[in-house]
Amino acid sequence: VEYVAPTNLEAAYRALEAEDARCLAGGQSLVAMMNLGLVSPARLVSLRCIASLRGVEAQRDGSLRIGAMATHAELAQLKHSSPSARLLAHAARVVAYPAVRAWGTIGGSVAHADPAADYPVVLVAAGATIEIGSARGTRRVPAQDFFRGLFDTALGKGEIVTAIHLPPGAPDVPCKYEKLSLVAGDFAILSVAAIGAEVTIGGYAPRPLRMDEIPKTQAMADQRASAEYRRRVLPELVKRCTSH
Amino acid sequence: MHITLTVNGERHELVAHPAETLLEALRSRLELTGTKRGCNHGVCGACTVLLDGKLARSCLALAVDVGDREVTTVEAFSELSDVQRALIDSGAIQCGFCTPGFVMALTELFKRNPKPDREAIRAALAGNLCRCSGYVKIVEAAERLAHDR
Repeated sequence: VEYVAPTNLEAAYRALEAEDARCLAGGQSLVAMMNLGLVSPARLVSLRCIASLRGVEAQRDGSLRIGAMATHAELAQLKHSSPSARLLAHAARVVAYPAVRAWGTIGGSVAHADPAADYPVVLVAAGATIEIGSARGTRRVPAQDFFRGLFDTALGKGEIVTAIHLPPGAPDVPCKYEKLSLVAGDFAILSVAAIGAEVTIGGYAPRPLRMDEIPKTQAMADQRASAEYRRRVLPELVKRCTSH
Repeated sequence: MHITLTVNGERHELVAHPAETLLEALRSRLELTGTKRGCNHGVCGACTVLLDGKLARSCLALAVDVGDREVTTVEAFSELSDVQRALIDSGAIQCGFCTPGFVMALTELFKRNPKPDREAIRAALAGNLCRCSGYVKIVEAAERLAHDR
């Protein structure tokens, strides 16, 4: 395995052209998977030194552009009145543990697309768009289309998640995030994100679902819970999430 | 790869494999074995160190990717720190394997918040497992330290 740490995106795109190259963001998922022998990339392209991937900027239209390398700890402190930003800050506060929140990034989590993670469900609920860059230019994909399934996203070869865009919204719209996990900080068995009356469910299927997709979807069964358990607790979680 | 690691204020030049974790580099190359290897995938917290003063899992950082961030390990305390003394005085150590990780997590907490309450202590320790399940005394040690300050 080879390691490179480019200082700008153009160099990162070139470095990613190599066979079996992977981006290294905060490392909180990728290094764990490498240690477990689940992945062994031929080249690691560290995004740590690319300044343009950092920072959160309020845009003129009231939306927010969140750099992909923003950490969970930074996002937990996000002060912005839109419901999508409040929802994201809430989710960032319950991602894993302090040591993981200090270095784990939203871009890394989004690109990893673990269905039990906190951001996929929250970003779909928030109506966020994922900004993707490559040597060919930049494109934006709605979160709803970005998350396709188990560790499966709209990202193509040579592409990097460069930012997350959160839409503007009225400060008085209620929002809530409810996460059910075995112990605090663990991945979710189920999670529900609500903005106003709009409810999105995570951890039930390989990708986040809208409420109306639930009846026609088979619940997941995994080491955390059976499908039957998920079906039975979902209504209670939705109730808690929508009682503002 | 040739890299430079700054650990407990000291600069070290070393050679590390690109897939080598900071934990392995600390233990095997620098012989700083206070940092423990437990689960090696970011769950147990035994390998907790500070990177630029922030808590970090040294098993989830690649040594080559640490760059100019300063590493602080439990060996930074050549004499017992307040946190270490509080743990000893409260009998908050059983087998001791998890202790360096708890020391680092509490060190970071008390630096940020000199008078944490029980909730803040529990939140700060959420990422550290004690397989002897000696949590009560660890939390009591931290509460006593907060009270005495």
